[in-house]
Formats: sequence, C-alpha cells, structure tokens
Amino acid sequence: MLHSKTFVKKTRGGKVNKQVREHYLRDDIYCGAPICKLCDSSAARLSPSASTILLLDTNVVLNQIDLLENPAIDDVVMLSVVLDEVKNKNMGVYNRVRALCSNSLRRFFVFANEHHKDTFVKEMAKESKNDRNDRAIRVAAQWYQSHLGGAARVLLITNDKENKRKAIAEGISAETIESYVKSLDRPDLLDLVVQPSSEDVEMEEVEDLRPSKRKVIYTEHKPMSEITSGLHRGIYHQGKLRVNRYNPFEAYVGSESIGDEIIIYGRTNMNRAFDGDVVAVELLPQDQWHEEKSLSIADEEDEEEDVHLVPSSADDAPRTTNLVQGSSGDTNAVSSRPSGRVVGIIKRNWHSYCGSLEPMPMPAGSGGTAHALFVSKDRRIPKIRIHTRQLENLLNKRIIVAVDSWDRLSRYPSGHYVRTIGEIGDRDTESEVVLIENDINSRPFSSQVLACLPPLPWSVSSEDLANPIRQDLRDLRVFSVDPPGCKDIDDALHCTALPSGNFEVGVHIADVTNFVHPGSPLDDEASQRGTSVYLVERRIDMLPKPLTEDICSLRSDVERLAFSVIWELTPEADIISTRYTKSVIKSCAALSYIEAQARMDDSRLMDPLTTDLRNMNVLAKKMRSRRIERGALTLASAEVKFQIDTETHDPLDIGMYQIREANQMVEEFMLAANVSVADKILKHFSLCSLLRRHPSPTREMLEPLLRTAAAVGLNLDVSSSKALAESLDRAVGDDPYFNKLIRILATRCMTQAVYFCSGDLSPPEYHHYGLAAPLYTHFTSPIRRYADVIVHRLLAASLGIYKLPSIFQDRPQLTSIADNLNYRHRNAQMASRASVELHTLIYFKKRPTDTEARVVKIRSNGFIVFVPKYGIEGPVYLTARSEKGGGEWFVDEQQQKIKKMDGSASYSVLQTVRIHMEVVEPQPNRPKLQLTLT
Amino acid sequence: MEFVSLEGFRLDGRRPMEMRQIRAEIGAVAKADGSAVFEMGNTKVIAAVYGPREVQNRTQQINDQALVRCEYSMANFSTGDRMRKPKGDRRSTEISLVIRQTMEACILTHLMPRSQIDIFVQVLQADGGTRSACINAATLALADAGIPMRDLVTSCSSGYLNSTPLLDLNYVEDSAGGPDVTVGFLPKLDKVTLLQMDSKLPIDIFENVMQLAIEGCKAIANYIREIMLENTKQLEYRRGI
Amino acid sequence: MVGLSLGEKHFIQGGIAQDIRSDGRKRLTYRPINVETGVIPQANGSARIRMGATDVISTVKAELGKPISLQPDKGKVSIYVDCSPTAAPMFEGRGGEELSTELSVALQRSLLGGKSGAGAGIDLSSLVVVEGKICWDLYIDCLVVCSDGNLLDALGAAIKAALSNTGIPRVQVAAGASGDEQPEVDISDEEFLQFDTSDIPVIVTLTKVGRHYIVDATTEEESQMSSAISISVNRKGHICGLTKRGGAGLDPSIVLDMISVAKHVSEQLINKLDSEIAAAEAGEDES
Repeated sequence: MLHSKTFVKKTRGGKVNKQVREHYLRDDIYCGAPICKLCDSSAARLSPSASTILLLDTNVVLNQIDLLENPAIDDVVMLSVVLDEVKNKNMGVYNRVRALCSNSLRRFFVFANEHHKDTFVKEMAKESKNDRNDRAIRVAAQWYQSHLGGAARVLLITNDKENKRKAIAEGISAETIESYVKSLDRPDLLDLVVQPSSEDVEMEEVEDLRPSKRKVIYTEHKPMSEITSGLHRGIYHQGKLRVNRYNPFEAYVGSESIGDEIIIYGRTNMNRAFDGDVVAVELLPQDQWHEEKSLSIADEEDEEEDVHLVPSSADDAPRTTNLVQGSSGDTNAVSSRPSGRVVGIIKRNWHSYCGSLEPMPMPAGSGGTAHALFVSKDRRIPKIRIHTRQLENLLNKRIIVAVDSWDRLSRYPSGHYVRTIGEIGDRDTESEVVLIENDINSRPFSSQVLACLPPLPWSVSSEDLANPIRQDLRDLRVFSVDPPGCKDIDDALHCTALPSGNFEVGVHIADVTNFVHPGSPLDDEASQRGTSVYLVERRIDMLPKPLTEDICSLRSDVERLAFSVIWELTPEADIISTRYTKSVIKSCAALSYIEAQARMDDSRLMDPLTTDLRNMNVLAKKMRSRRIERGALTLASAEVKFQIDTETHDPLDIGMYQIREANQMVEEFMLAANVSVADKILKHFSLCSLLRRHPSPTREMLEPLLRTAAAVGLNLDVSSSKALAESLDRAVGDDPYFNKLIRILATRCMTQAVYFCSGDLSPPEYHHYGLAAPLYTHFTSPIRRYADVIVHRLLAASLGIYKLPSIFQDRPQLTSIADNLNYRHRNAQMASRASVELHTLIYFKKRPTDTEARVVKIRSNGFIVFVPKYGIEGPVYLTARSEKGGGEWFVDEQQQKIKKMDGSASYSVLQTVRIHMEVVEPQPNRPKLQLTLT
Repeated sequence: MEFVSLEGFRLDGRRPMEMRQIRAEIGAVAKADGSAVFEMGNTKVIAAVYGPREVQNRTQQINDQALVRCEYSMANFSTGDRMRKPKGDRRSTEISLVIRQTMEACILTHLMPRSQIDIFVQVLQADGGTRSACINAATLALADAGIPMRDLVTSCSSGYLNSTPLLDLNYVEDSAGGPDVTVGFLPKLDKVTLLQMDSKLPIDIFENVMQLAIEGCKAIANYIREIMLENTKQLEYRRGI
Repeated sequence: MVGLSLGEKHFIQGGIAQDIRSDGRKRLTYRPINVETGVIPQANGSARIRMGATDVISTVKAELGKPISLQPDKGKVSIYVDCSPTAAPMFEGRGGEELSTELSVALQRSLLGGKSGAGAGIDLSSLVVVEGKICWDLYIDCLVVCSDGNLLDALGAAIKAALSNTGIPRVQVAAGASGDEQPEVDISDEEFLQFDTSDIPVIVTLTKVGRHYIVDATTEEESQMSSAISISVNRKGHICGLTKRGGAGLDPSIVLDMISVAKHVSEQLINKLDSEIAAAEAGEDES
C-alpha cells in the first residue's frame, strides 16, 4: 500500500461552499544535497562542494531574477511555496526561474516543502497568507540547517525586514541580497541588484528622495478591490494597453465591455502603464474626447517618426486612427471615439528592454554610482532611470535594462542594468538587438537537441525503401525551383504527361517528421522556435543545420525522403484526383528561379525537364487565373534584396526583389498543395486541425485606402475580396506604377493571416480572405516552419500511417501552440524588417542618393513618401520642427493635399517627388536616414 | 491547470501512481444482514445488504437464480454544494445499474434460486471515485452477509492529466475534463468485469491508464482481504473460539 | 414489517407492564447514547448519533440568502430528513418518503417554533447579516442510516449536536453599497461564529403500550404501541412542541401526566446529551 504517510486535512472556506481537500504529507522528499547522508542523492542538484546553500524568499526571486540568472549565484534551494507565490504574482519571472531550475548547468534544486511532513506549515489563527508563507520559508530553512547538520551553511536571503528579523531570532542565518552580493566581492553584480522599494530593507546610499519636495506627477492607482467593484459596476473597463508603435503618446485599450477601443492620450492619462499591461480604464467625459494633434508627423518632446520599411500589412503600419473629420483646422472637434485614462494596472507586462543610455556628461568623481536615463529601441517604452557604477562603460553601448518600479513622483520608471550587448552602431551588436527585441532564440542547439539527429553521413536506408508506407518515386523526374543559393530546399515538383492527355503533378515536401519525433527535445525546441528567421546577413534555423541543409533538404542527385501530394489534372488544370503518400524521391535538378525562367523562355531547349516546366507553367497560369476569378487578391509588396559582401557582410547593392513567372508557378502549386492538405486533415480531425485563416478587413481598416483613392478620383468597391480584386484591376492610371502603388496601399490595410486550431472557431471563420479560399493551411515548408511539421503529423495520421501524438487530444495546448506560432511568426517578420532597415541605414551611410519617391500620406507639417526603389517610406518635413503648427502650409483634407498659403507650391497624395536620402547623426552614435526634397 | 507539478506531486501531495488513504469497516448497519463502510480519501460510502430473502414482488422472481437488486443514493450533504435531488435521477439510476451488474457477475446466484438480494449503497461524502468506493463497499457488505461469491470484485479509477496517468482521481482531478477510467476487477480470476471511460484517449495510452487502474484494484483487494481476516478473527474471539 | 409471533408480542407487552423490557431496560430508561461530531467535514456542522441500533446523521449547511420581506430581521432554517434504504429495504425508491416527510414536519414543529419562528431553538435574528438583504440560511439535512425505533428523539438529539458543532464563517460587508443594490460580502476563512445551542429543546417520545408508556422504544416495541406523544422540552422546562401520533384516543388527564413525565425525563436527557456532545467535541479537537 502506498498510503503510509500521515496526513492532515486542509479546509478552505470558499465563497459559501466549504471545500475539503486532502493533503498528504510525505517523508520521501529529499533535500537535493549530495553531501547529505540521509537522503537518496540520485536526484541531487546542488554541488557536492557547496559551502553555502541559499534559500530565497519570494520577494528576492520576484525582484532579483536578473541577478539569479547570473552564474555567480548558485547552489540555490527553491521552495515550492516560493515558486507558487512567484507563479501567482508574475508568470514571466516564474518561467525564468523554472528554466533555471531545469538548466543542467545551474545548481538550483526545487524542494517541495509543502508536501514534506516536517516542513509543512498549517495556517494559524489570525495569520495572514503572507505571514504563513514567510513562516513556511523559515521552517524550511531551519529544517535544512538541522538536516544538513553543519555540513554546509544554510543562508536565507530575504529583503523582507520582518522575515529577516524573525529568522535571525529563530537561529537561522539570514542576509539581504545586497549584503550577500557584497560578500561575493563582485562589484559588477551590484548593478544587477534591484533597488528595494520602501517597505523592504533599506540599502545604503539611498538617494534622498525628500518626497515632500518632489512633485506628484501621476495620479494614484486605485486599489484592486475598488477596481474590481468598478469593473463590476461598469464604470471601469478592463483591457490590454497597446501603445501606438509610431506615437508613444497614444495608446489603445481594447475593451470588451464597450466593444470598442478606448484611446488614451498622453503619458499622464496612461498613468505609468506600459505596452501590454492589463489595465483598468475610466472613460473621460464625452466633451473631452477630442483628437490631440494627431495630424502632425511627430509631436511632443523629441520623438519623431523614422524612416522605415514599407509595411506589409496593417499590423506593421502606423495607426492612422483619426484624421480630422469635417472641415480642416478644427483640431478640437469632438470625436466619436471614446477616450479615457488609466486608473489602475491589473497586470504588469514588464520585462527587459534593449536600448542605450541617453548621452550625458560624465559626472565628476567617477567610481561612485550615477543615475542615467535609458532609452529603449522600442519607442513604445518610456525612458527608464537606472543606477550604475560603471557609467563610462555603458555610455556607448547597447544594453539591456529591466524595469523595477514606477512611483507617482517620478516622471520615468526606474530599473536596473542587466547586461551589455556591444557597441552602438556595430552591425553585429545591432543585429543582436534585433534578435533580442523580437524574442528570438539564436543560441546554438543544445547537446540534447543535437542528440536527436540521425548519425551523419545519412542516406536513405534499405528499411526506408522497404517500408510499405513509403512509395518509391525515385524514377520520377523531380526537380526543385528556389531562390538562388537556397540550401534548405523543402519542396520539389514533378509533372508527367499521362497517355490520357491529363497530367500527373506532384508536390514533394521534405519529410521532416521522419526525423523530428513528437515529444523529443528536438521537437520541443522546434516548437518553441516556431520558425526560421531570415535576417539580411544570416539565418537563424528552426532545426539544426544537418537537418536543414542536408538530411531534409531535397538537393539534386541524392535520394531523399518526402511527403508527396500528387494530383491528376486535366489540361484545363481541374483536379480529378488527389492522393497523399510518404515517398522516396531523387531530384534531378535544383534550379533557381532565374534558371527555370531562362529554360522556359529559351525556345531552343526541348529536353524533358524543360517540357515539364513549360507544362507546369501552363497549368499554373490556369489555376492562377481561376483563383483570381474567385476573388483572390494579388497584392503587391515592396520586398527589397541586398547584395552582401561576402567578407565584410556589408550591403553592396540594394534593389527590389523581382518576381518572375517561375516564382508564381511554384507558388501556385504550393498553394494548391496546402489547400488539398487542409481539406484532408480537416475531414479527419475536425476539432484539432491546425489551419491558417485570414480575416476579412473591416471597412474601418480599409478607410485610409478609400480616402487616398477618393482623393485621386478612384472608386474602390470593398464589399468583398472579389469586388476589391476587380476594382484593383481596373485601377490603372496614365502612370505605369499607379496600379502597383494602389496595391501596395491596399496591402497595408489587411491584417495578417494567422494559425488557429479548428476546434476554436466555426467553419465560416476559417476563411482565407487574401487567397479567397475557404480552407488553408501550411504544409510545404516543414524545414523552416513548425506549423508545417504539425500539419505533416496530422496528414500522416489521417492517412492512418502514424498515430496522432497525444498533444492533439489537448485542445488548450494546441491553441497555445498556435498562439506561439503566430507570435514567433510575427516576431520573425519584425526581425527581418528590422534587419533590412538596419542594412538600409548601413548602405546609405556611405552613399547619399537622389531618387524618385511617391507621396503616400499628407501630414500637417509635411508628408510621408514611399521610395519604390528601396522599399522604404519616411517623412519629409516642409516646416522646421521648431515652428510647429504655424507657417505657410495648410492641409486640404478632402483632396489630400498640402498647399503653400500663397499657392506657389502644393503636394498631393500619390504625386511623384524627387528626394535626397542621406544618413545624418543629430546626436552622436544615433545615425538616422533623412529624406529631404531636392 | 497544473495537476502534476514538475517535481511529480499532485495537488494533494500524492505521486501519480499513489492511491488515497483507504479505510474499511464491516458491520456499520446493525439491522442489515451485511454492511460495510468504505472510504477512499474523502469519499465515504455505506453499503447494506438485505437477503437472500423471499422475493418481495413475485412477478420478479427468477426460478433458477437469485434476484439481485441495487439502489444507489447520495446524501444531500455529500457534496460541497448542498443539493436536493429527487430520487432516481439518471445518474443514480445508471450507477445503480452499474453496481448491480458488477455485483451480480460475481455472486453465485444459481445457489439461491427464487430469492432476492438487495444491495443499498449510500454516499455520505463524495470526493471523486464514488462508483469505485460503492463497489468496494458492496463487496464487503456481501461478504459480511455471507453471500457466496466467485471472487472479491474490487474497483478503482484512474485518469490521464498533464500527459501523466494518475491513479484514483479525486474530485478536483475528476472535474478537470480529462478521461476517467473506472475498472472493476476480479483479482483471483484476473478478469475485468467493469470498464467505463468518458472523454477521448489514444489506445496505447488507454492501455497504460487501464493497467494502472487494475493495479489499484489489486491493491484494494489485498486490503479488503486483510479487513475481512481481521473481522473474522474478531468474530472468533467474541465467540470465544 | 416486523413480523412478531403472538408469544413475542405477549413477551414485549408483559415486560413493559412489569417494568422490565426485553433488553433489560426500565420503562423510562434510554439506551446508551453515542455522539460523534464533525463526521461530515464538508458541512458547517455535523453529528452522528447512535442509540442502540438506531443510527442517524445530521448536518448543517449555511448558505447566504435573502430574508423574506415579512421578517427582514430573521434568517431561515429548514429541516429535511432522508431515510436511506440502507436502514430498511422498505425505504427503497420512494418508499421512505412518507416517513421522511412525517419526521421532517415533526422536527420543524418541535424545534423551529412555528411559522413566525418565535420560540425557535435557535435565535433566528442572529443569522441576519444585513437586515432585509442578507442572512444565513441554515439547511439541516438528516439521514437515517439504521433504524431501530425512536427516530424522532434521535434526530432531535443529532440536530442539537450538529448545531453545537456548527461554525459559520464570519462575514464582512463591503462598505459603500446603498439603495437596492445587493451588498458585496467578504467571507473570512478563519473565524467562525458558534451558536448558542443551550435553548434547543430535546424531544422525548413516550410510547403507550397497553396501560403504560415507555421512552426510547425499539422497533419491536413501537409495533405494539397504541399511541405516542412526542414532546419537545428545553432546558428551562418549557414545552416547545408536541405531536401526538397513533390511532388510539388518550384521556386528557393521561396526556397531562405524560407531559409531566416527559419534562422529568428531558432533564436527564439534556444533561446526558450535553455531556456527550462536549465529550465528542473535545474528542474531535484532539484528533
């Protein structure tokens, strides 16, 4: 029998229900110290030579996580009571602590004190939850002390004055984190120590705050109980605060209770809330719902809009919520959009941020601590005050800073230095910043992950060939078409003319799931990374290189495993039948788009491969035109391509990415494969399929497009994707570039497509707007997208050749995977864009250029131009920023024009202008690209 | 929700393969022919057996075997929130049926033709696994009544949460939405007589989960045997043998 | 139900006439009473009482409710009895309903002091949290596990024991609510209110067999009764409720005589019960 443990019953008075839960206390929980002679030390995590074992109080874990992540802090016992408290207070910190505890390089041991018979603490009468937990921590510390019997010093680290006092009184050695770090004699660690807030133990060198003399800047946050009752009564609204990426003084709170977004203007109304915080908002009286100077390109202090890449969807585009309605000039017109102010913060979204210190003179008498202001790369984050002892080391560096607190008396939040990335402006440093900002894991793969790889050199084995589920397609003329230099080839094609006049067309996708097994460390890692990330000068792989570039890559002239979708198509490109199979293929050629295009165009070539290509191209064109007939949008994006110096990795040339017929041909068959697979998996697993949907844009989202179109006399029908596609087709001006420009503008009004779990939505919501497809998924790039890996597993299970992994039974988990994929996908795109922006800057540093640009948006002091050649857009100022609002220019809202008062000059939307591009450095080490009229 | 911590403890401090504390007592209802109390953690049920006796409703009489009847009822106070349910709701009817069929399968009914055996189970406290507790209590009560049986049928449940098979779910774990496999088992004959599961589970995992429940049944059977031995010793002692 | 032979009947009746009952008791002696409290942990209070083979459980559950508009200053108490089929096969299905209802009504009459609640064993106004808005509703649920006569007295005693075992969480009313709004309440996990149970009466049932009457009749004895009177008496000796059962008529003077006997017996019963409850509570605290 297993129940030999003594147990007590813990009762908990619920609302009115009296709940009774059993709680079994155990005697088989071990201390984790290898020096211990009583316990089973097979699972011990602490070092055998540890002279001091640290026990941490909850407040230390919550506040000093950056310090704990430093390898200088080790041999730590994490109590489960502390972990639970941390989990309740801050999930982000909890995950980081958990990562520390499971990291085999660190010596962190989790002690389940709540289940141990000697360390369980029963709540005493009149004792608060906090006091009880503090007592539990002390009891555990005492237990360790007596358990180890002097073999190692047990030190309780707490910054809670009361807890420390009691601990010392009970004979436990206890210290504050500051005094412990000081005792380590590592001055650099001291910068990582977070300043305690007032109720905790005070530090030395506390700045004289003199609260009486300091001005109160922000209103007080309401207590939680008041917020709850306010939310209940409908006077407050809860939602996640989203700061405008392009104007940090404007934020939005999506509120379910009023079904609309509430706008928050200014830092005062934001009341210390950060982007991503869950806040409680109070609506302002309706007469204060005015628009605040939203028309100028940049406003307040020293914030201004930078030159950036052309947005590829509405998610990237600056928010243009509010152009003044009605007559121009009346900037205080009452808007219909509710605005509000933050009254309390329900959940903080603080993490660490990348950026640099604001330039400042070195204080006299260096060596002591200095205060500095940190400016984040992410413009949505306010400046952060930090304390440092190494100011001169940090001034010209990119550093990471974490936020600790923000009180009512400070204009800026205070935080602490975490680590240095490198010199500002250095390309590697800046690339690193891009990765960190987008939460991209670029660390090398761990040994556990690499252990999952098959031994190299790998080749198709006889077992693979003998496997009845795998069809031998080596005799087919399979080839791949990819961008030049592509090493991770995940798709290949074949096209055979059948005697009946029909065609057999196959799409062969790298069989990644043959190597990535569910639940393996490799699978977990890939699922976490979600996607490969393509930066201008490097690629961060989702899977280790041997898989990406060799084992899975469908290179030419080698046998590879594939997952194939094979159709029989009529010459009119109608699908007669579809079959799916795992296969072995041998690609005969790995072509680049240019090569494939050249073969098709060269009428002298009549070899079988070229004939296949031509046949495919004919079919693809028919499929494409049919798709467009259904209403698929052909949207234009302005992708740019760099030529990179192989030695210095500096950009040599920059230009628009050219799209050829060959690209479209491959794309067409990939789309078809994805659609076929989506159909198949949904039929078998209606509740747990991973699909991709693209929501229809709302009329409001298309508003900027319509306004611009109207200004140039164009009438767009946006009632459906088909109507929009047709009106876009009709939108041809005298100007050859006009249509493309309108398409680019349309693209940025769309939201991005997202992954979702089919059980979470109803079938009408599965629709993919851009492709005009009722169902869509991703199947064709499993080497670089994890979504495709999942879909491969679903497809294999639907064919009955593999079992569905158990994760598909767990819908919440599947949903969270989909969410993670969307997040990773989005971040990968942001990182790519940021990388291109970075390289654009490096490129123009040495090459001031004059070029042609198009006006895409009118602002009160200038306009935004789009530079087609380089795929960027940015502001052109007509008035100097100092003379705000005044001057000789006025805006004609109706016609989207900005005119000089005397009528001598005017610029209207979509007009062509010549501009000069040059990199300037308004502040040292802060280069930026400036656009001026020539 | 985390039902199994990374350290391998369930919410109540058990490890995944551990059962709750079980306790049994024979002879709790003085007037009945056989009775028993069975507790699994906070789940507590009383079973009383009346019979074999004359069939009350002649139309139900079976000429070559005994009529076995069963009624399951839950006390109003047995759950956390007070409920007042009419007797004979669907759930009780179903459980009554399940218990009756399970017990009937192990009673040697052909030895008692034209007679009736009534099994009444009353839930005093419900904290998950009531079905299993009822069957275990009924087995003891039947044994106490001296009714001939093939084997001691015992029952235990198991589930699958956080990708871990769990033995003997309590109410919190049972309401987590995962599968709940209830097994009734004849330990000597090594046969499964009752098997119920709600929710979905892949077949290979199901195998493990069911095996776990069977291990639970075996452990309970051992315990029940001990209790009966103890009871017999006391009877002996009282009779002065 | 109880099949007795003529000889057995004579034996029982004769024994009662001679003041020596078949189990050796005198006419006015109770069987030993065994009290256990806190037997049902999920209830706010509970007790199990065994008198011979009679075995009953009583629980108290407190829920927040709204007082009825006629009595805004009083909480509500209701009593339900359930006869489990484990006690007797005849309670199977709906078979126990009639007896359950009879017992519930008799208990309400004896302990709750009529519709107005005046004279109730528990001070109903102590259950009010906010006058007219929030009060505690006590649900007393009893279960007959095993029945060997004298259920009413046993149930009454079990309810008394369960109420003395009951702790009701202390509530804090959030300030600021006004008007018609239902105020928010905060329920404390730790502090509990205890009831004053000293005024709760005990029930003494006198069963008339032949010319004599007995207390604490077993099922066999009850089968021989001509009529019975259940009288609830509190510590002060006040009669709180009275129920006559059984077909045969009674002479009023005999009724009065029975009442005075019941009063006398109740004193012993209350003392016995109080000491048993106190012992049970002490035992529970220790374990």
